[in-house]
This record gives sequence, structure tokens and C-alpha cells, in this order.
Amino acid sequence: MIELHERTRRISPTRIHEILLRYGAKSLVDPFMGLPTHLNYLKRHGIAVHGGDVLEWFVRVGEGIVVNDLTILRDHEVAEIVEMIPGRIYALDLFKAWEGVFFTEEQCVYLGVWFDNVRNLRSDGQTGLAILGLWRVFCYWLQKAQEPDEMPDLPPSELAWYYIRQTERWVASNMRRNTVRQSDVMQTIGRQRADALFLAPPPRNALHHADPRIWMWEAWWQGNPYFTLEHAYRDTLFGARSNDPAAYQRSIAGILSEAADYPLLIVATNESRLGELEPIVRNARTKVECYAPNDSEIYLIATA
Amino acid sequence: MALFQEADGDPRVALDRLADVLTYYGAVGDAAAELAFGFSLRKAAFARSIAVALELDASILDAVAIAGIMHAVGALGNPALVRENDLPERFAMMERWDIPAAGARVCAAIAALPERCADIVRWQSEAWDGTGFPDQLRWNGIPVPSVALALADRLVRAHEPEEALASITEEAGRSFAPAHARAFMLWFHRTGAEVEPGAFPRAALVSELTDPGDLLLDIADRIDRHLGVPGRARNVLRLAEASARALACSPAEIEALRIAALTFGAGELGDGFESTLDPLVRLGLERRAERARAGARLLENLPALSAAAPLVAARAEWFDGTGKPAGLGRDAIPIGARILATAIAYDAIDIDTRARPAARRATAGERLDGASGTHFDPRVVTAVLDAAKAHA
Repeated sequence: MIELHERTRRISPTRIHEILLRYGAKSLVDPFMGLPTHLNYLKRHGIAVHGGDVLEWFVRVGEGIVVNDLTILRDHEVAEIVEMIPGRIYALDLFKAWEGVFFTEEQCVYLGVWFDNVRNLRSDGQTGLAILGLWRVFCYWLQKAQEPDEMPDLPPSELAWYYIRQTERWVASNMRRNTVRQSDVMQTIGRQRADALFLAPPPRNALHHADPRIWMWEAWWQGNPYFTLEHAYRDTLFGARSNDPAAYQRSIAGILSEAADYPLLIVATNESRLGELEPIVRNARTKVECYAPNDSEIYLIATA
Repeated sequence: MALFQEADGDPRVALDRLADVLTYYGAVGDAAAELAFGFSLRKAAFARSIAVALELDASILDAVAIAGIMHAVGALGNPALVRENDLPERFAMMERWDIPAAGARVCAAIAALPERCADIVRWQSEAWDGTGFPDQLRWNGIPVPSVALALADRLVRAHEPEEALASITEEAGRSFAPAHARAFMLWFHRTGAEVEPGAFPRAALVSELTDPGDLLLDIADRIDRHLGVPGRARNVLRLAEASARALACSPAEIEALRIAALTFGAGELGDGFESTLDPLVRLGLERRAERARAGARLLENLPALSAAAPLVAARAEWFDGTGKPAGLGRDAIPIGARILATAIAYDAIDIDTRARPAARRATAGERLDGASGTHFDPRVVTAVLDAAKAHA
């Protein structure tokens, strides 16, 4: 059985929004966006948002809830995602490697069906919404494998339907251009300009401690149950070459140097990592304010 | 502002007043969010008890209870709920998602509250699977004190406690962490979901940091903005206070009148707004009396504010005894209520007259004079008009 993380990174978009309002920023770039639900919140509140990440499924979800302004899924379209379509040929054994290890046979079949179905949707927005909804089903199954007696048994298609419908509630427009890109942090920072840059850099060696609910879903999206994060991060700034503290600090300093043109820089951290990040930020910027609403949420706010 | 009489240096009096004003704020939040009267107090009591079952540290229990009381204060001013703001259903839903964050900002601005209170309110509607709002936090990113509030909310909203138990266990792994659902189930069976509402946790407040009078004024301003009549309470307060002094009311009567002027608007929150009809006509009187009763109910059990309850309740009475709800007449209507009713009417007519000068209607003074002796006490009408002239 797979271990699910005890701790979860907390990104509070309401808090980020309050900071942006305080400094009058109307657009934001987040090169480590992860699951971009926070960008969705900021978008709904009128901020033009631009996100980037290395993992493709995050970017696809971003196309559903960040870039997409109006597309949702009609009932028959949801039905075409959650169940097998007669006449379509499916690779039902695509995720057989997970069978008996993480999931049941039925669940693995559904993962194979959904893998094909989401690729046959009509727009990127719909695909993003479907991926996010199905990911929540995936998380539910992993959680249920841990606590089989504590959670009700729900049919996969019913659960998928429920979550896709939940997901599309978040689709909204802010009448601004919002973007997401699959790219390394340096590229995202360099190719996009905004009033504010939000950085929540992964901790050193983060790829070795990544939550399985995150990297396994990238494996699903790639259709490769043997996928590993080392592969995805190999050529990035936070890949294998930043395993030692000095290299990690150099990486962060490099990002801050690249971000010198952003009028407002917000670095999100927590109490345990503050000692490591604060000196680097203070070295890069002269005006730095530390805003710490609680131990798990500390923001280093640097202004021009 | 010096709304209340001097406390003679007794810190307990200030603390009691602040606790009552905060409890009132919670009730106002309930009314704005269209929740049943007493919702916040029940939620606070349940949340505190559930927080113990979730093995939270004793030092945070008071903050959880206060957050339970303040849970809906963010509803005041929410675009989905404010007067005459008919949003499409989808937009209204999204606006309602912001209520917890707005509540957190309100709590953060009240310096006397425990520091963690704001964040407990902020994340009370998050769901384990990340489908909650406003932050869409997921899994262990949701602080456990907020989970206590979410579980309590489900319990108070349910028609029967068993209904809440069923829905929470059914949603284990989705809205709630399986471990939290299990803890709730154990708590439910141990207590039978029967918890006595406790007293306001005064010990957690730092009363020197927040003046209850200022807070009450702030609440009144927010209510007025919510109802689309910004500044009304301040106008009524100014007129009523000056009139009460002219009529030689006692300091206690003036204090009750001040509180009434700042709180009568709360009765208009919720599903039935104050009639927009002319305040001098009998049409809509029943509705006004209903709102007056609702406003008074919010004050009745709060010692620091309860003196104002009879004034708020009687503001729809007529001087000639034909008003509502009790049909009181002449001196049977408290002097404060007579002043309050006249000041409210003057303010409403004055605003209407100034807003539509082309209508060539009689001035507020002329119209109020016309209702003197039937609707209003003639002595009070004179005092209110004098006060209005003096201010002009």
C-alpha cells in the first residue's frame, strides 16, 4: 500500500489576494503553480494570472479552470467521459501494473477507459475539467485503500460524475487574458511580465518526497504506470543537480535574479524553511517584509 | 465612540459589553446569511465540544467557540445577499463562496479577538477533497479547528442530528477526512449531540483593544450598506440623541436609545427587507412590525444591549394606538421608541425628498408635521425637527 502524506502544502489564495490588493497588483505570475486552484480564485477576483509548471497534468487542469472562461460539460459529455463508449477500442490493461498494488482490477480498467475518453473531448477546457474531476476520484481511491472501512463504496462512474460536476462550478471569466504553460521556472518568469511574482519553491529534494497523489496522476496522464518524477524533473532547476544545500540555494538565487524586474515578489514559505529562504530573498532585494499569519504560512514580500 | 455610559473603571463591565456586542454581531451575521435565529450560538457550542473530540489543544477551544459565533459575519455586504442585487444563480453561488474570507477579514480587524479566530473562520467551509471554498485547501492543509466548525455547521443545519451523522459518514473521504468523520461519530454516540450553549468565552478577549461602542457603530454601518441605505444609523443616532436631550430623557434612556438607533436595522436583514413604501402610510405596517420584533429579538438576551430591545420592538407603534404589534398608544410607548420611530421616518423621507427634488413633494418637516398626533408624538416631532434644523 502506498503512503499518503501527513502534511499538505497550504496555499491560501484569499491571503495572496489580500497581499495583492494591499500592494495594488493586478496581475500575477506563478511559475511553481502546481494544482492551479489558487490561480482560479485570483482569476475570479479580477487578477490576470499566468501559471507554469513542469508536470503536464497541472497545465491541462490550468487550461480547464484558469484559461477557460466559459466552457463546461453537458450531461452527455460527462457521460462520454465516465463510462466506456460502445465501439471505441480501449487499452484496458494500460494500468495493469497498478492492479493489486494500489488499485482493484475494476479501478484499473476505469483508469484505462478514462485515459482514452479525456483525449476525445472537444476542447482543452473540457479536458482540463475532466482531468481535475477524475483526479479527485483517483485521490478518493488511494485514500480508500488506506481506510477501506471508513469510506463508503461508490461506483466509479458515479464518483467521477460527482467530481466533474463539482469541478466545473469553478469556471468563470475575469475579462482578462490568463495563461498557463508547461515550462521550467526560468522560462515562465522570463517570458511573462506581471505586477507580481508568486513563488512557492519546492523544498530541496522535493521530488523524493512528492505526494503520490500528484506524481501518480502524471503517470496516468502520460499513460505510463512506471513514470517517475526523476524523469520529469531531470532537466529542471530543481532536478538532481540541486540535491545539496549549496546548489539548492544557488537555484533559488538564480530565480530571484531572473525575477528582478517584477515590482512585487511574494515568496511563500513556512516556519521550518524560513531560515533557509529569508537570507536569499534579502540578498536579492533590499525592501523585504515578512508577513507571518501563522506557522504554516509565511510570506516574504519584496517590493521594488 | 462613547456609546455606553462610563464603566467606572470596572474592566469586567467593558468585557461583558464587548462579549455581548460580539454575540450580537454573530446573530446579525446569521440574519444576513438567512440562517435561523440562534444558529451561531449553537454552532459555537457544538464546535467547541467537537474540537475536544478532535483532540485539539485546550488553548484553542475558546478561539474555536468565538469563531463559531462569528462564522457568518462575512455575509454582511456579500453581493449575493445584499438588497436589490439580483445576481444569476451561478454568480450568486460564487459570491457566497467568499463569505468565510470576508468573515476572516472582519475578525482580523477586531483586535480584541484571539489571533487564530480569523483563520478558523476563513477555512470553515473547506472540504477534505479540495472542493470546498474559498481556498480549495485539501487534505491535511485544512487546519483541524476549522474542521470542528465545519462539522458543527453540518450538525446545526440538519433537521435531525442523525441526519448530520449520516451525511458526515457518507461524505468521509470527500468533505471530511475519514479520521475526522470517525471522531465525529464517536463524539455523536457519546454525547447524543446534546450540548448546552456555553457562556461567551470572555477570558479569550482582550477588551482594552476594542471599544464595544465603536464596534457597534461599525456593525451598524455594515448593516446599512448591506441594506442599501448607507449612513442611515448614524443619521438616526444623531437626530435621536439630540431629540432625547431636548426632551430631558435620563442618561439610561439616552444610552438605550443610542443602542436602539444603531441596531434597529438588523431586523431588516434576511429574507424580508424593510418595505420600501412611504414610512408614513399604513400600508406595510405589519411587515415593519415584524421586522421590529426580529430586531428586538437579537438584543433581548444580551444584558449590555437589552435595554434597547423594547424601543426597537415598539418602533412600529402609532401614537394614537393603531400601530403594531401591540397597539400601544401615547405614554404606553416608551419615549425612546417614539423618538426612534420619528427619527427613522424623518431620515427616510428626507433622503427620498432630496433624491427626487423634481417630484415637488412636501419637505420632510411638513410631512412629519402632518403625521403629528396620529402616527407620532407631537412633542417628539417638534424635538426631531428642531434637531434636524440645528444640524442643517
